[in-house]
Amino acid sequence: MENYINNVLKPKIQGDGGEITFLSRDGDKVTVLMQGECSKCHILDRCLEWAEQQIEKDTGEKVRLEGIRKKPYFQDV
Amino acid sequence: MAHIKVVRRSLRPEEWTDMRFCWLKRYIYDLSEEITSVTVREAHQVAENRYEYYDETPRELKKGDLYFSPDGSAFIKADIEIPESMQGKEVYFCLKTSAEMIVRCNGFYLGGIDPNRERIAVTPYIHDSKLHFEIEAYNRSKPDDERNPEVLATRGCRQIFEGAYLKTLNNTVQSLVYDIELLLDIAKSDLFNEGFRELVNKELNNALNLIDFDAFRTEDAAAAAEYINKKIFQNKTYRGNGNVALIAHSHLDIAYYWRRIHSVQKNLRTVLIQLRLMDKYPDFRYTHTQAFTYETLEKYYPEVFEELKEKIASGRFEPVGAMYIESDCNIPSAESLIRQCLYGQSYFRDKFGLTVNSCWLPDVFGNSWILPQILKKSGVDYFVSNKMSTWNDTNRFPHNNFIWRGIDGTEVFACVPPTHFITWNMPSQIQENWEAYQEKNNGGQTLNMFGYGDGGSGATEEMIELMHRFDKVSVMPKTEHMSAKDYLEKNFKNNGSLECWDGELYLEMHRGTFTTKSELKRFNRMLENKFRNAELVSSIRRLDGEDYPAEEIRALYKKFLVNQFHDILPGSHITPVYRDAVADYTEINEALDRIIGSGKGNFNTLSFDRQNITFVEDENGNDIREGKKGFWRMPCEGALTCIDFEKASDDTSWIHIDGLNIETPYYSIKFASDGSFESLFDKKLNREWTQGDFNKLRIFDDRPGNYDAWDILPNYTDRQFEIKISEPLHFVCADGECARFETVLSTEKSKWKLIIRIFRSSRAIEVENIVDWNEKHRLAKMYFSCNVLTRELVSDTSAGFIKRDTHRNTTWQKAKFEVCQHKWSDMGETDGGIAIINEGKYGIGAYRNEMSLSLLRATIRPDPTSDIGRHNFSYMIYPHADDFIKAGINRLALEYNAPLIKSDLTLERSFSPLLLQSVKLSEDGKYIVYRLSEQNGARGKLPLGKAYSVMNMLEDVIAETDLIEYGPFEIITIAEKL
Repeated sequence: MENYINNVLKPKIQGDGGEITFLSRDGDKVTVLMQGECSKCHILDRCLEWAEQQIEKDTGEKVRLEGIRKKPYFQDV
Repeated sequence: MAHIKVVRRSLRPEEWTDMRFCWLKRYIYDLSEEITSVTVREAHQVAENRYEYYDETPRELKKGDLYFSPDGSAFIKADIEIPESMQGKEVYFCLKTSAEMIVRCNGFYLGGIDPNRERIAVTPYIHDSKLHFEIEAYNRSKPDDERNPEVLATRGCRQIFEGAYLKTLNNTVQSLVYDIELLLDIAKSDLFNEGFRELVNKELNNALNLIDFDAFRTEDAAAAAEYINKKIFQNKTYRGNGNVALIAHSHLDIAYYWRRIHSVQKNLRTVLIQLRLMDKYPDFRYTHTQAFTYETLEKYYPEVFEELKEKIASGRFEPVGAMYIESDCNIPSAESLIRQCLYGQSYFRDKFGLTVNSCWLPDVFGNSWILPQILKKSGVDYFVSNKMSTWNDTNRFPHNNFIWRGIDGTEVFACVPPTHFITWNMPSQIQENWEAYQEKNNGGQTLNMFGYGDGGSGATEEMIELMHRFDKVSVMPKTEHMSAKDYLEKNFKNNGSLECWDGELYLEMHRGTFTTKSELKRFNRMLENKFRNAELVSSIRRLDGEDYPAEEIRALYKKFLVNQFHDILPGSHITPVYRDAVADYTEINEALDRIIGSGKGNFNTLSFDRQNITFVEDENGNDIREGKKGFWRMPCEGALTCIDFEKASDDTSWIHIDGLNIETPYYSIKFASDGSFESLFDKKLNREWTQGDFNKLRIFDDRPGNYDAWDILPNYTDRQFEIKISEPLHFVCADGECARFETVLSTEKSKWKLIIRIFRSSRAIEVENIVDWNEKHRLAKMYFSCNVLTRELVSDTSAGFIKRDTHRNTTWQKAKFEVCQHKWSDMGETDGGIAIINEGKYGIGAYRNEMSLSLLRATIRPDPTSDIGRHNFSYMIYPHADDFIKAGINRLALEYNAPLIKSDLTLERSFSPLLLQSVKLSEDGKYIVYRLSEQNGARGKLPLGKAYSVMNMLEDVIAETDLIEYGPFEIITIAEKL
């Protein structure tokens, strides 16, 4: 899962100026760190839903992604 | 008595007007028909116009469905027959999106749709009632949009499809909307006369009162328009002043929040939009930069390119900016900038029969003093760049229309428009431009660019419609819609009263771009030299009758030049752009190595004898420098020929080491355990070189804010972090020429190894850095506090030197706390000084007698991974007698940056004392071209021994000569016919 997120999903997210990093897994709950443009995206939930679909399609695993936003310091107010 | 602040809870009159204006917009379209037969196929772009599709077949796309995916493109198809009710009327294709789309209908490129445009006219182009739409859509808009902030709320990788429609337009309502848009902008701007604004507010209210929004009738809208015309447009009580030239333009970043491969579509969309506006508005003209973008259009969309050529021939679509791309103008060398012009102009000449006479760089982060000469000799008379007027953080740049005098005395006309290069042609923006314009009395018209940009797009119908109404508004400045060429020639060409700016065009902002993404800078410097080598050896072989790989070198050069784009090389881009750049650099590097080939000799590619300690690559060498084995030797001669070296002896008697105290033939050194020098005493010159921290690494908190990759703020020195010594400095090894010392420093997250090399036969001290860098928000600098009394920092520009004050007497000097250098900087007295020579570090700070070489940053926007990883770079400390010219610092720096290559060639033309900057086959294949550069600020004559052709930088022969008379900092191009 960590490999898939960091090597398959990450380059695509980076293509839009975002950043996704695997943090942890607890059963079917996978926690990811969302940075860059993702950290302030108003429709991030749509993207995470897409990521869940991709994971299921490519790995066969059904997981629930929890995205933790890390805003850059200059927007963290 | 206490007062209670009254909160108004009902509508103010202006709000009531705004509200009805919004209602009015609902009637812009008369008829509407949803297109229900829509499919989408999603894809991921992998190269220019190459895609990997996510699905084998398209899927149905309905209103409310999600489409697009991260880093995705969407190919949409839609079919509809124009309903009977719309037959005979002008029909529009409408689609609201925060993405960007290229629309074809029945095989014809109709235009573009994006957050600033929701409709495209169909029926002027398509005469069949059955319509088949093919849409290429990509979801990579810019991260900010001042005009449409609401787009930011829906911007993102997954979009909701809001439906596609055919609609007909109510022209009466649309025209009234433009009238009111124009007037509301004036009414809300403090820049205009208060009385006129009161009049506008009052009469707009009266006009809208003529419309019953409960029972809307077009006749009422027409009556409102007539009322506005009579009461506002015909009112001549109020008078504005000023004279503003309006030039349509769209700034297109080749890469930024998108990759280079995506700029192909961004450019097509932009060009299409402007072509369609030209179809509708016969007076509309538009300017477009970057030969690269024209090349991609020609390659992938030949039918649009043919249409474009017609518009260029008629003078309505105007290529501006002579360069191949809008290059960064701090970091690229003189030869790179010459090639930007050569390849740009060659393309424009070849395809359109034009030599573009403007250099158009609206967004570039400051401009080197060497540019005017390069531009002038490349057929360019005019320089245009907006940045200094709108971004300087300390001083107001004092000119807008002026003459720019370059390092060698060459002058070009320069325009720094008073306002931003992205405007939407609103009256308030035009008024603001006029008010900020500083050459009202001697500069003629002021330049106002209009059009959306960064990701392309350009002018809109609204901007042109508003422009057509400006003459009706008495309070506005006089405006004239012009081509760039007409504007520049009209206002500059015979204008004898323009003032002159003699010096670099330093941008007081974006100082971090000299340092951000260190690896790109290292590659850039290395490959600039390697291109020189590849062309040199290819030219020598051509003179011997062999083939010259002209096509291959040209293609490689162009790829290299693209990476000098002002959001690539400076480091202000997202992660995939960095990966692309490194991949390109790696490919170029390997190809150039193949072209250069190999041999047994050590070929000195420089046109002068090498005088400084040289690292000779050798598998049997006893040193490893930047991953390569070799040994250090002092050469004695050998311009453009092979030099023989013998490996140094093992005799180490030249050095005496007592802990951290070192004695060499040149120095008595006392090191600190972190690799800094407590003392560097020069035995030959009998003087101490250090006065405080010298070769001292410091790491600072570096948080400039939103423009993280771009900026370094002066407050970076406020907070410094502790650097631990993991391994104190210690002696490692020595031979008969070089002694090596090492120390390992560390922070909580990073490791920094310093390898210090001291030499028997040279004053040079080399410091190699091997860094595992895992920081965020940090700036690493190496400090050199020199025992010299100086008020100047002298820095290489790649085509001569520039002197900058190191005191902070005025705000102009304070603002230059971090500046751009090329291969070296020097602080000195009349009889001695210290040079720091680098191999790809372009940022340096100076204060009093202290230099600080910027080494690494760790920024997070736009790329959260910026600079993380391993770095390996070196610099050379070179204390010297005399001043930097007598000490030959420039030549030493050239030697340091031009390692010997394995080859058995020689060239018996050195052109000394000029520097042989470049040797190449002419673009037409008929000449060997020699580019010579005077870099010491001297004047002289150089007999050539035979006749050569003198060329400009576009390789046009302009004279024949057997004698060069050169001036300070002059770059001269001569050629011999094959």
